[in-house]
Amino acid sequence: MTELERALAQLEVDWPATPPFGYRRARRGLLAAALAIALAVGIAFAVPPARSAILRFFHIGSETIEQVKSLPPAEQRSLERALGEPVTSSAAARLLGRPFAVQGVPVFRAGSTVSAIVDGGLLLTELRTGDDPGIVKKFVGGQAHVVVVRLDADTQAIWIYGPHAVSGPVLPPRLAGNTLVWLRAPITYRLEGRGLTLERATTLAKRLR
Amino acid sequence: MAFRLAYVITGSAAEAEDATQDALVKAWRALGRFHAGEPFRPWLLRIVANEARNRRRSAGRRLRLALRVGAAQPVADDGVDRHALLAAVNELPEDAQVVIACRYLLGLTEQETAVALDVAQGTVKSRTSRALVRLRELYD
Repeated sequence: MTELERALAQLEVDWPATPPFGYRRARRGLLAAALAIALAVGIAFAVPPARSAILRFFHIGSETIEQVKSLPPAEQRSLERALGEPVTSSAAARLLGRPFAVQGVPVFRAGSTVSAIVDGGLLLTELRTGDDPGIVKKFVGGQAHVVVVRLDADTQAIWIYGPHAVSGPVLPPRLAGNTLVWLRAPITYRLEGRGLTLERATTLAKRLR
Repeated sequence: MAFRLAYVITGSAAEAEDATQDALVKAWRALGRFHAGEPFRPWLLRIVANEARNRRRSAGRRLRLALRVGAAQPVADDGVDRHALLAAVNELPEDAQVVIACRYLLGLTEQETAVALDVAQGTVKSRTSRALVRLRELYD
């Protein structure tokens, strides 16, 4: 590489601000698709690391995922303490617009999210996707990994493993275990567990409807 | 990166926004044709670039890029005048400007640039070479 090429590569250009794709009200019908693909874009087109404190951000359903240099302050809490307040199954169904995916377990709410401990200690959270796509935020540190996986022909999912934090509309930020996030419109699902494997997560996710 | 690529191709932030948005939706609809295990970035690049080129063609012409040096650009200690260099990039003919932007400002590989510009990789190589010669003349 010549000196000129090096100088070009080191140029910091004042690019126009990248718009928040997927938020346009005019395209409400395509919102879920645009949000989901925006997530993939975030992965595929990462901003060069030195250029921003937020290295990447993307969305899936009601979840915003930001890849950051260092995680924000977050508590280490058990999954049981991340549930919120107990609610009846019918109250959960009213929040989601349909019954919670797993029946026969105690369900809890935190804001508009509905959660339960399922399948031997995993935290399953459901959130009805509305007009605010950034209601749950995940912060992924440099040691965590984010990959796109396919659950079935129609459903993409995001697998996040390694140190990351999650914050919701009500509960304070906490450190999160390995997480699978997927969208089956209009519900955004999140399955989390320490030591959770991708295989176990996708197997369970495929069963949930 | 997707938006910036569209901006480089269209020369307009508004056109780039529309092109990127439409490309994302098209990509989502085409996900079923994406082969798992293959690199995702070039696949998506092609869709974004195609959409940007279509919009540029519809507009009849590409607006002239007016790139500026970012405020965070550190003071150079290598004798390179960043402002003058970027001004020279802005003065390049369109083909040269786009290939320089793709290769060095966006950091695309030759292969990715070929996909984005819908030309052969050899064409990217020769265009880059000619653009660098012209850029050096303008900068000096």
